[in-house]
Amino acid sequence: MSAAVSPIEQMVVVLARDLADGELGAAGAAALVPMAAIALARELHAPNLTVGGEMFFNPEPGRLYPSMLDDRALGRCEAAETFIELFGHSHHGLDFFFHSGLQHDVYGNINLHHVGGTLHAPKMRGPGAANLSYCHTSSRYYICPTVHTARNFVETVDFITIPGHLSGPAAKRDAGLVNEGPRLVVTPRAVMDFDKTTLRMRLKSVHAGNTPEEVQRHTGFDLAIRGEVPQTRPPTEEELRVLRERIDTSGALRA
Amino acid sequence: MEGQAKPTRRSKVTGLQDAARLARGALEERPELCLGGLFKQSRPVALVRALLAAGADGLHVYSSPGAGYDVDLMIAAGAVAQVFIPGVTLENRLCPNFRRAVEAGQVTAHALDALTVVGGLMASAHGVPFQPIDALRGSDVLKHNPLLHEIDCPFSGRRIHAVGPIRPRVTFLHAQEADRWGNLRHLSTMVYADQLMARASDMVIASVDRIVPDEVVLDDPSRVTVPSYYVDAVVEVPYGAHPTASFPNYAMDEDHIDAYADLGDAARTGDSTGLDTYIARHVTGPKNQSDYIEAVGGAGYFAVLEAEARNE
Repeated sequence: MSAAVSPIEQMVVVLARDLADGELGAAGAAALVPMAAIALARELHAPNLTVGGEMFFNPEPGRLYPSMLDDRALGRCEAAETFIELFGHSHHGLDFFFHSGLQHDVYGNINLHHVGGTLHAPKMRGPGAANLSYCHTSSRYYICPTVHTARNFVETVDFITIPGHLSGPAAKRDAGLVNEGPRLVVTPRAVMDFDKTTLRMRLKSVHAGNTPEEVQRHTGFDLAIRGEVPQTRPPTEEELRVLRERIDTSGALRA
Repeated sequence: MEGQAKPTRRSKVTGLQDAARLARGALEERPELCLGGLFKQSRPVALVRALLAAGADGLHVYSSPGAGYDVDLMIAAGAVAQVFIPGVTLENRLCPNFRRAVEAGQVTAHALDALTVVGGLMASAHGVPFQPIDALRGSDVLKHNPLLHEIDCPFSGRRIHAVGPIRPRVTFLHAQEADRWGNLRHLSTMVYADQLMARASDMVIASVDRIVPDEVVLDDPSRVTVPSYYVDAVVEVPYGAHPTASFPNYAMDEDHIDAYADLGDAARTGDSTGLDTYIARHVTGPKNQSDYIEAVGGAGYFAVLEAEARNE
């Protein structure tokens, strides 16, 4: 591949590798990266991965759009669905979903409501969130914001819109969150996962061109770096070729 | 027997201004307005503009899963007191007037989620006192959501949530087609809760891109999404969802929404002249939809949005 791998392409490849054949998932609204990951997984190793649970079933996007709330972004799809699926999947369950927010904290909690102040006297009011149920009714989810700074990765979020691991295993159990919750945090700089015992976020690997020290400097909490941190496995020739030629035909992931 | 004329069925086709007056009168009784569509798709924006031009204030606005341009415009026009909408966003950026008004304490934006709003509409549509919800855990939204109560499930004994009926006094919908009786046909792929909103509301007013002959409906009844007995008035408004999309007819006008948001951000940081001019030009100025189409850019401009909807 001639052009350099973009940080967003690296994110897509990391996420795609974690989606398994036969799973059912959904991309969420801000779906550029999630939909690309789903499409790449389907092309490479997961032909039976299906997409449902929102307003459409199994889209075949002709190219990537920034939002899935756009009929054109579906390309063709196998069925049109409605709000009913939100209730339906509350009980049937998805295997995976994707979230990102204004703030993310050390336990993977996500804030979309306000930064500073209080809910009804906010310093900055965010958009809120449509869907709070998939963080619980989906077996797992991925956190994949397209920026990674010390301002959006903070020790404690100002408001928990989407619960991650709350304040650890006990709090999670008390709240009745019995699913895996957030599994990976994939950003343009690095991949994080969660300590199995404490459920605190830790640095797993850094993308090419980043050092662990840099990633730590751009994160508002301790990433628990102990010893050598591996580099994120870059996209293979095959992954990059399929991604660029069959999925991201308009170059949206390199913009 | 001769001379006995067959009685005629009443058409529900209404003019835009008459529909706005009808809505305004109902909302003065109870200010709960519900808006159909998705964030930038199939929003009843022409009806919203007509209501703003007719004068409305103190509204409680509902929508699900979310809204953007239309509710932000209503807030800019000073028509909104409370927002019961899970997500309020232009997707690629925040809603400037929503932000400003909530941060200034002028508008109350409740913390809600889509299950709650849809559940409340389901309770209303089904005529039951509440809808149980068993899929919310761990979010701070649960501490603030004014529509939820915790209850004991009578079967399992578990603590679950319940939401009471949400019964909008008026719902505005936008569909692509209807017949003159008000039978609606949504032709876009994504239709979230329009059918539910219609069944949950006291009064439903729909805009459509075009009124079709009766035969179009009769030849394909499974294509009707909302039967006319739920619909009080239907208004033929070409490009009635603009600047949001009405697929498959026309795409969302991202440039228009972005330019509006720039004016809103300027107003938020102290300079409201551009936003005032925008409202005069697009909301209070146009006497009808033809005026509005000209104010936006004319037929050629809309032809581009039509081509974009066809992916050209």
